Amino acid sequence: MARDNKSLNRRDVLKATGAVGTAGLAGLAGCTGGGDGSNGGDGSGGGGGGGGDDEYPALGNFPIEGDTATFGFNVPQSGPYASEGEDELRAYQLAVKHLNEGGGWVDSQFDDLSGDGVLGYTIDHVDGDTATDADQARQSASGMIQRDDAIMISGGSSSAVAIAVQGLCQNEKVMFMCCLTHSNDTTGKDCVRYSFREMFNAYMTGQALAPVVRDAYGEGLQFYQLYADYSWGQTQQASMEQFMTDVAGGEQIESVATPLGTSDYSTYLSEAQSSGADVLILNHYGLDGANSMQQAIDAGIDEDMEIIVPLYNRPMAEAAGGAIEGIYGTVAWDSQIDNTPSQEFTQAFRDEYDRTPSGPAQLAYAQTLQYAAAVERAGTFYPPEVIKQLEDYEYDNIGMGSETMRGCDHQAQRDVPVVQGLPASEQSEGTYFNIVNITSRDDLGYACDAGPAAECELGSYE
Amino acid sequence: MSEKDANPSAKDALVGGTLFGRWEKLRGREGTVVGITAILVAVFPYLFARAPVVSGFLQGYQSLATLILIWGIFAIGFDLLLGYTGLLSFGHAAFWGGAAYAAGIVAKNVSGDPIVMVVSGTLFAVLLAWVLGFLSLRRGGIYFSILTLAFAQMFYYMAASPLAFLTNGENGLTGVEVGSFLGVIHLEADVPSIGGMLLGTWLYAFVGVFFVGAVAVAYRILNSPYGMVFRAIRENEQRAEFVGLNVWRYKLMAFIISGGFAGVAGSLFTIHGAYVPLQSLFWTESGDIVVMTVLGGAGSMFGPVLGVGLYLYIENIVSTIQALTIPFTGIVLVRDFGFYWHLLLGVVFVAVVWVVPDGLWGILNRLRELAVDLGSKAAKRLRARSENGGGGQ
Repeated sequence: MARDNKSLNRRDVLKATGAVGTAGLAGLAGCTGGGDGSNGGDGSGGGGGGGGDDEYPALGNFPIEGDTATFGFNVPQSGPYASEGEDELRAYQLAVKHLNEGGGWVDSQFDDLSGDGVLGYTIDHVDGDTATDADQARQSASGMIQRDDAIMISGGSSSAVAIAVQGLCQNEKVMFMCCLTHSNDTTGKDCVRYSFREMFNAYMTGQALAPVVRDAYGEGLQFYQLYADYSWGQTQQASMEQFMTDVAGGEQIESVATPLGTSDYSTYLSEAQSSGADVLILNHYGLDGANSMQQAIDAGIDEDMEIIVPLYNRPMAEAAGGAIEGIYGTVAWDSQIDNTPSQEFTQAFRDEYDRTPSGPAQLAYAQTLQYAAAVERAGTFYPPEVIKQLEDYEYDNIGMGSETMRGCDHQAQRDVPVVQGLPASEQSEGTYFNIVNITSRDDLGYACDAGPAAECELGSYE
Repeated sequence: MSEKDANPSAKDALVGGTLFGRWEKLRGREGTVVGITAILVAVFPYLFARAPVVSGFLQGYQSLATLILIWGIFAIGFDLLLGYTGLLSFGHAAFWGGAAYAAGIVAKNVSGDPIVMVVSGTLFAVLLAWVLGFLSLRRGGIYFSILTLAFAQMFYYMAASPLAFLTNGENGLTGVEVGSFLGVIHLEADVPSIGGMLLGTWLYAFVGVFFVGAVAVAYRILNSPYGMVFRAIRENEQRAEFVGLNVWRYKLMAFIISGGFAGVAGSLFTIHGAYVPLQSLFWTESGDIVVMTVLGGAGSMFGPVLGVGLYLYIENIVSTIQALTIPFTGIVLVRDFGFYWHLLLGVVFVAVVWVVPDGLWGILNRLRELAVDLGSKAAKRLRARSENGGGGQ
């Protein structure tokens, strides 16, 4: 698709009318937190790029007009993941604050960042509601890109949303930093050049969980799977099957699809119970996961079988309560992880909001700073240069050990925390899991021509 | 424009040769309607996204303007069924989403030409509407609604899983490459010179042409004997049958036409986004179009388009307002205002349905009638005064 002229022209039109138009924003009912519109007006009179950006052509929302760079944070603020989205938004706002005023990792972990904006630009942000709906997420993101001139978008609490928005960002030539998205496809067959994922994927979850399960429950187990019947559930159950068989020497009795959004799992569960398997793997996420887990416990399945939930999140743990006791799974990150960056982030988050950050919050915070640091290293906001700074970048400053943001599929190669649910009596606000193991990245992942990465074609830089 | 103007002659006599009168005569003509629509379509994105002050106040942006027209086409078609024929379909997501998928799959596998996409998407929707209409229209009233809902949901589940190899399941259809129009015009590029100022992108112009076309076609249908039959069916199905009309056939035709409009809109939606979300087949999409149509005013030509505008405006723009302030002051009324957009939409909807059952268009109509009334009174008074004055001399 040749879109070469597009952004240039749109910018020109905006410049022609933008000065007055954006100035009007400031006085409007609304959006007081959303962006200081008058700044945009100041810069637009010049017509050219700002500062030292002249060497690069206009692309997407580059060059930035005025002296404020806007980030767009697109998170679920309504729907089942609203509480997760709220926590992500807190972390994003904290990241913006630290970028502008210093503090947190900006002072301690990211040498590239000054704590006085990014490249002399003040960082501002807008936020939008994805409602965990790919369509609405795209609308929201395109508003941020076209109206608010966001230079970077971040967010997502669902793979469908992340995939939809990163496709849009590739078309619009605006960078996307994935927050929580666990499907193989995000950096597999639906991968794009303009998006980077810090979160691990379903494939790695399987790799990380299988040895832990083997060590805890023994080798050669028979396992039974239930999986939510959509792409994430399917890839998740496929990788669990692969690694439970290869690594743990297990044997799959059966794998049964359950419709997405099922509320009553009793028939599926009773079949699983009477199958005689040793392990039950529930490949459900979010409220589906909370439901199936709760019902499995209520049916007394945990007495005869060991239950595994590949991916946990906080709303899920909150909804399932004590039902998660002893159940293995993986999480994006946890505040109990014992290293300096993790503790610093937890402390900074507590100081600001008086609450414990969730895994996605750490992702949100890390991804925002990661982008800003790449901009500093590139010396420009010009997206292709920023992308090149992130590709194959090695870092060890976000609390998940040594990592590489792999250039071939934009998937971070990193450790995966394996956790076990705590009994209700030991749970408290923000603490639901006990960290069993942090599986090293050396035991995880796949080559660039294998697994999900084999299907990845990143697309163009420009 | 709508059946409200059934007796313009009486008013004409009153208003006489004033500007109002001339307007009243002109405003019902097809040429006028289509012409005015074209003008409005042409200036809309400028006012919405680029004009000084106005767009700053509205906070609109180009892609939303395009989206409003696309949904507008959908709503006009839906209103043919709901407002004019009196059939409440709860399954129009099947046509909208089905066409979107058809267009997307054609673009991926056959040709990304926008015209080919629209034609194939629309064709798919029409055929689907034929089949679903044939099956659903066996029953009337609530049963019809439930049947359409059930069929549409079947498609949703099919697309979500068994057909995931075609539709890419939950992740939505990615990697749709929209080609250039007639091989030369990239739809994402801007229209040159003044056209770019007004319309913005070629994509908007492309959608705009379809929108004006949809208005013309719908207007022609509604003002033809065929459209008359639709209304007769809405008013009294039995009576229409006794007159000798094959009611079932007309209903099926209304269903197919409306499915065709949804198909055009759905295909354009794919061209607009270069992506098809799975949600485009979900029942909430069918619900949205019902809400939009009723909000704007079912049974009027342009009402549903107003409904679409308001709905999408609240969904996409009001929802991003972070703090509601009193204009031109810094006083904050409500924090996180945008967070409550669902509530706001609900309140607006309830208020409109409660106070003016004929929707936003009904409000405009009443205002217009008020203006006509005032105008004619003023004219009468003026005439009386001038006659009096003349008598005095």
